[in-house]
Amino acid sequence: MRLAILTTLLAACAGSAPAPDAPTGAAPGQDLASIMKDRGLNEADILAAAKTYTPSGKHDEYVIFASGGHGGNIITIGVPSMRILKYIAVFGAEPWQGYGLGGESDKILAEGNQGGKVINWGDVHHPNLSETNGDYDGKFIFVNDKANARVAVVDLADFNTKQIVKNPLVMSDHGGAFVTPNTEYVVESSQYAAPLANVYAPLSDYDAKYRGAAVFWKFDKEKGRIDQEASWAIELPPYGQDLADAGKLVSDGWVFINSWNTERGFGSGGTGQPPLEATATKNDTDYLHVINYKAAEKLIAEGKGEVINGMRVLPLALVASEHVLTFIPEPKSPHGCDVTPDGTGIVVGGKLDTHTTVFEFSKIKALIEKGEYTGVDAYGVSVLDFQGSIRGQQEIGLGPLHTVFDDKGFAYTSVFLDSTVVKWDYNHLNQPVESLSVQYNVGHILAAEGDTVSPDGHWVVAMNKMAQDRFLPVGPLLPQNFQLIDVSGPKMQLTYDLPIPLGEPHYSQMIKADKLHPIEIYTPIGTNPYTDSVDPGAVASGKERIERNGTHVDVYMSVIRSHFAPDYIDVNQGDTVTLHLTSLEQAYDQTHGFAIDMYNVNVSMEPGKYEEITFVADRAGVFPFYCTEFCSALHLEMMGYLLVKPTKG
Amino acid sequence: MSTPLAVTAPRSAPVLHPQAWLRKRRVVVLGCTLLGVLLFAASYAFPYWEFKLVAPQYPKGLLLHISLTGITGDVSEIDILNHYIGMRTMSDAASLEKAMGGYLVTLAALSILVGLVAAGKRLGWLGLIPALGLPIGFILDVVYWMYTFGHTLHEDAPLHFEPFMPVIVGAGTIGQFHTTAYPTWGFWMSIAGALLVSVAVMMRKSICDACPSHAACGKHCTHLLVVVPKDAE
Repeated sequence: MRLAILTTLLAACAGSAPAPDAPTGAAPGQDLASIMKDRGLNEADILAAAKTYTPSGKHDEYVIFASGGHGGNIITIGVPSMRILKYIAVFGAEPWQGYGLGGESDKILAEGNQGGKVINWGDVHHPNLSETNGDYDGKFIFVNDKANARVAVVDLADFNTKQIVKNPLVMSDHGGAFVTPNTEYVVESSQYAAPLANVYAPLSDYDAKYRGAAVFWKFDKEKGRIDQEASWAIELPPYGQDLADAGKLVSDGWVFINSWNTERGFGSGGTGQPPLEATATKNDTDYLHVINYKAAEKLIAEGKGEVINGMRVLPLALVASEHVLTFIPEPKSPHGCDVTPDGTGIVVGGKLDTHTTVFEFSKIKALIEKGEYTGVDAYGVSVLDFQGSIRGQQEIGLGPLHTVFDDKGFAYTSVFLDSTVVKWDYNHLNQPVESLSVQYNVGHILAAEGDTVSPDGHWVVAMNKMAQDRFLPVGPLLPQNFQLIDVSGPKMQLTYDLPIPLGEPHYSQMIKADKLHPIEIYTPIGTNPYTDSVDPGAVASGKERIERNGTHVDVYMSVIRSHFAPDYIDVNQGDTVTLHLTSLEQAYDQTHGFAIDMYNVNVSMEPGKYEEITFVADRAGVFPFYCTEFCSALHLEMMGYLLVKPTKG
Repeated sequence: MSTPLAVTAPRSAPVLHPQAWLRKRRVVVLGCTLLGVLLFAASYAFPYWEFKLVAPQYPKGLLLHISLTGITGDVSEIDILNHYIGMRTMSDAASLEKAMGGYLVTLAALSILVGLVAAGKRLGWLGLIPALGLPIGFILDVVYWMYTFGHTLHEDAPLHFEPFMPVIVGAGTIGQFHTTAYPTWGFWMSIAGALLVSVAVMMRKSICDACPSHAACGKHCTHLLVVVPKDAE
């Protein structure tokens, strides 16, 4: 009915005749034709609006989990409305969620520190949703921090970061976080080569001592945490490993990783020699790393390898001789490495080459099984023949990077320099089907469930590195631009531009919203989100108290509209104070906050949640604390005092 | 054959009825009693009364269900809201009744059964007391507690309200809340149970009146269940 009205209006507007009179009942200037004229909208704009506009109270069909780049977070976005739903703090403090500002989440952030260095940020690159049988199961999402080689686990029950693990071997990562089809492993491989476990070695030892590594983090689905004890790694040559993907279906049990610096360049040192960008691109090809991780698993089970910085590592010589690791030449300095939904092909974006190369898994496997190698590299790793390993190459354009897939056998590749999204058929490599201009410099690309065994089609998002003229100017630092593309019709249509104003996104994934089942409140009351159980420090109504033990003061405080109990706390300067906060609220969306002035403390108290804040009351004075969420009509009155009595003298 | 109206028959000369007539009545009386008692027992598991509060920030509304054993639903949320006007918490209400609820229903069911089966013509009607007492007593109790809660508002509350009587049946308004209050499943089950027991008591009287031992009958009667004297034929 509504559609019929819209269609009629559109038909009326599309003609060259003057806009028809307003429908009876519409106020002057309030009919669609007048609005289109006033705002300079054409029929395609109205269609795009109709495809994406989501009225108040209606929910989106899909959810994007986007990396927040050096914002250190994850951004959740509804599709097709492109409304930002939430930022999930991961590697950096975030005041709204009370993340990393004095409460329990400090312990999660601290897990990412190493060697006495406190790290306050992260560079989130590739979110990966947990999978069951190669399909998103909506339970967890993993992200990597390129800058500090860390992986975080976010629980989609409460959209909270639950764990950060620090890669004990490498300094930076890029090929991660990628999950195997049943989330057995979260794979994280290195980016910039360095001596393993951060020991010192001069650059003149680059070939001998600098290395990469692929870490297979074992994920415990029951506990919802990475089991660091059961995790292991494979040593890799210092080739500058890049993007990676896990095989699926026929290629399950294998992992594929790009590389861009088989030349082993490391810069000029100001000596007038060519810089790294030149040395790293000298050869025509780099190596696609093919890892048989099931074979590696066996070696680990046999106790092979050595323990480096607490992690069991299979040495390069061993994985080379056992053919756990094999190389195939690939066009130099490529980018994306994406396994097709049926698991038969691995698509590598040429970046400096105008093609995407589709490697054929069955051919690779046959060559390895027959032991047909063209030679070995400098580290003794066997190399397969390029032509004998591929399905073919597809001419795409200038700067093909990443590839995602739809449900009809098409691939969509982001083309950086051309600023286009190119649609092509990955089973029949002919001419590309279609090319669509995007604004501007598209990096990653994502499609609805587009990297699973069963993509949904319909929506593709171009994640553009530049926005330029797309939005109102906001000074020299501009947001990125997410462009939503409808691919359900015969022609791709750009439907929406979303500025991303907090970090530079890299990869993202889009999951059907009905696969997510987040909790509404924490139950039972007093649940510590970081242990998933009722905390021993939780307090029931009427049991609030202050306990002093020497110079340690424990405050068991309840939080409920519109008061804290107790609402003043007397301590002496120098006391160590632990606040055990329990929200007694049980109503959906009834959140409180708890901030102490001048003590750099702010936590979020969602209904039923437990938080623990420990600090030394080293500054004397009177410090109001208060609720930082406008919780109720008596929100302002929800406050109290921390009184720190000065020590004598 | 016209149905004899037992109640109009003179006591000294009871009208005799065929066995079949008596048997049918006995089955109906026993059936109604058992079904009534069963409904009482089942009502124990269902809420008797429902209060619903709707406000802009509670689009789904808040629900309170009052049953014989207690108050369930959005209790903590309503307690939090009520504390702003100084109302006592739900856990303060009817603690004796809530603790006794199970015993009261059991007692009512047993006394109805015993009354109907064992009591003679003079005391047969006593079964009506627990049967009607249950739903009526429930309403009176709810009214009592609502009145008490509405009239014992704490003076130190953030918002000062004049003592008031909350709406027990129908719609009302408190602050931004639109409230509705209605009896629900459990209550209707107990009403149905009371009606069935009432029917049983009435019909039992007609059986009594038709009984050959009517004149001699006293406090106890076992005829209803087991024995129908030979001379009844």
